[in-house]
Amino acid sequence: MSKSIQGKLLLATAFAVGMAAFAQAQTVRVSGFGGSDPAVVNGLLNDVLADEIAALGIEVEYAPTEGDYSQFILNALSAGTAPDLFYTDIFWSRSIFEPGQAAPVNNPELAGALLPSLVDAFTYEGQLYAVAKDFNTLAVHFDKDAFDDAGVAYLDENDTWDSFQEKLATVQSSLEDTYGVCVVPDYARFAAFALATGWQPFNAEGKTVLDEDFQRAFSFYTGLVDAGAGVLAADIGEGWTGGCLGSGKAAVAMEGAWIIGFLKDAAPSMEYGTTLVPSDPETGDRGNLIFTVGWTVNANSDVKDAAAKLVGLLTSEKAQQWVLEQGLALPSRTALADNPFLMGDNKEQIANRMVFRGASDGNVEPYFFGDLGGAWLEPINSALNAVLLGESDVETALSEAQAQYDALQAN
Amino acid sequence: MKKAGVNHDTLAGWIFLAPFLVSLSVFFLWAIVRTAWFSLTDYDLFGTPSFIGLENYVRLVSDDLFLLALRNSISFAAIVTTLQTVLALLLAVLVNSAARAKGLVRTVFYFPSIMSSAAMTLIFLWLFQRQGLMTSLVGNVINLRWIILSFVATVAGVQVLQVVLARRKYAEVGLFDPFFLILSVALGLAGAIVIRLGGWLPVYDEQLLISWLNTKEVFLFMPRTLWSVALMNIFTTVPTLMLLFLAGLQSIPGSLYDAAKMDGASSMQSFFSVTLPSLTPVTFAVVTLGLIGTLQMFDQVAILGAAAPLESRITLAYYTYYNTFPPGGSPNIGMASAAALTLGLLTLVIVFVQRQFGIKERIG
Repeated sequence: MSKSIQGKLLLATAFAVGMAAFAQAQTVRVSGFGGSDPAVVNGLLNDVLADEIAALGIEVEYAPTEGDYSQFILNALSAGTAPDLFYTDIFWSRSIFEPGQAAPVNNPELAGALLPSLVDAFTYEGQLYAVAKDFNTLAVHFDKDAFDDAGVAYLDENDTWDSFQEKLATVQSSLEDTYGVCVVPDYARFAAFALATGWQPFNAEGKTVLDEDFQRAFSFYTGLVDAGAGVLAADIGEGWTGGCLGSGKAAVAMEGAWIIGFLKDAAPSMEYGTTLVPSDPETGDRGNLIFTVGWTVNANSDVKDAAAKLVGLLTSEKAQQWVLEQGLALPSRTALADNPFLMGDNKEQIANRMVFRGASDGNVEPYFFGDLGGAWLEPINSALNAVLLGESDVETALSEAQAQYDALQAN
Repeated sequence: MKKAGVNHDTLAGWIFLAPFLVSLSVFFLWAIVRTAWFSLTDYDLFGTPSFIGLENYVRLVSDDLFLLALRNSISFAAIVTTLQTVLALLLAVLVNSAARAKGLVRTVFYFPSIMSSAAMTLIFLWLFQRQGLMTSLVGNVINLRWIILSFVATVAGVQVLQVVLARRKYAEVGLFDPFFLILSVALGLAGAIVIRLGGWLPVYDEQLLISWLNTKEVFLFMPRTLWSVALMNIFTTVPTLMLLFLAGLQSIPGSLYDAAKMDGASSMQSFFSVTLPSLTPVTFAVVTLGLIGTLQMFDQVAILGAAAPLESRITLAYYTYYNTFPPGGSPNIGMASAAALTLGLLTLVIVFVQRQFGIKERIG
């Protein structure tokens, strides 16, 4: 065989192999949130993981969605037009898992690498249905200058509710125009106190009982304003505690790591510190919530295997390390808990570290309420609102809320 | 030949009608049939719907949230329709009687209607903050109540005095004579300023915090939140309805007013005996449109979102949406469909009852 023929054969073989690889390339349609999220996902898909994705023979079609994502995905799944890979928020995960719209995660190695609480959060009837991409918990962020000006020691992880309130009240009384903390009528913040008492949203029978422990936390939280340690956020024209801190109207905020980006823009020169939420002086425990979003493979996708592989890449150590270093989110992998980036001493690193620690310190519950979803939140939020606005006293508000839970959970 | 012509016309008619018939069939008739079917099933967007009879309707009438939504919707429709009809009529009469710059006046009054509902709701969210503009407005009225009362008393006193004196020479001087009114208001303002500066009447310094939206308080038979939404709704709807009345006013023959004047009718008598009866068809349209629009009010309470408790803002349209996309929960399309059909039926019944016993379609 002449060299030219050999060369042509080689070329033909290479072309055929190339064509075969091309033919095997599978297109995975991916969707995600709008806002700043596309910058993260595009960074991962086009820069950090581009080679690995190409090596798997996967082509990604990424389409972020602005607006209410849960409505988008429910409609799309119902209509059969949903992407192969999409986000599931723990808050509305049941509406996806229960009707069988999520493909099970059959990757014990990946599941074993994640924080156990995040695996539990996305486990439904013993089966994992989503891989947590990141998570958040609540932490206490405070303006160091405000504490210095008031001559009050910084908040720290040894603070109980009592010392927390005392420090805030001193800051508020010492400074003109600065309140201690903004209080919002929202379980998503109040839970840090309720759960610290050992109270559980659902008891062994699956019912919600607003017991004495709950009432103790409720009285403390709603009493922060009367104690001179805080102000209702709405009374100073703010909608969330981070807005109060960022605008300098309050010295303290109780938020997750999402506040970091906000403070970078709203108060770039603010020297702030972050610590764990205060503990209940009676139990000595802290309470916290886990907010998390996971990657879910569409159960009706034609490219489930490729989508599952893509999930593995998007939640790999390499991907999470990059996301972490960008200061964009906290990693869901246990291996990154001791990551040097989380151990640093700048304010963002400290904030991330505290939020990370919040997931495993004390009584931590996912921000998830079973089949009831957001309906479960209404009675508590309504009671918080009524008491904080002075429209009701604690006993009456809780008695009404309990009656609402009894009716809600009657069946 | 004639027969063929008729067929040709009939065919042309059907061709012209076809696009509308198709869209009506698909988006209205088919949608209603499907909704009616879903209302008798346990459909949840994913599973195969199973027939469960009237269970959704039974659950609906035993659901406190639905009953609350029903009460809120009916109260809202009654209050807003009444107020917006009266205000639109008064505004139309005012604009119609403007001597100068009628076009400018019309444009200024119509302006709120060109704003999108979403944008207007966001603006009102800001106005209705606990320490917002509305609160400070009410706070100022309360704190300056004695000064305001003295202003009103001065204006009324000076106006009456002027009219009484003038009537000695000219019997036809009206109580609200505009020239005298300008003078009365000017004197009233001057008096109020003097009283305020002299410190002769008490001025209070109460710091009010009024929850316009974020509250469970009920005023009369409707949540305070919905009263605030009603205010917003009236503000945006009145100008459009005003245009309808304006068109109606301009089509009333001037000879009717001339005849009334010759019979010795006063302006007020002309209004009640000529204007109002002549506007009956327009009023019917305005009331009907108002009832339909207010019973189906959704966007403003949806945009409010967590800014107000659910029970203070829920209406039937929002209840339907809430069951379709319950936050964090699974869709309940069966209940949502039952609620949607109930709302449709309720709207038909209320419009029919209004037509039978309220304002008629024709001048009678």
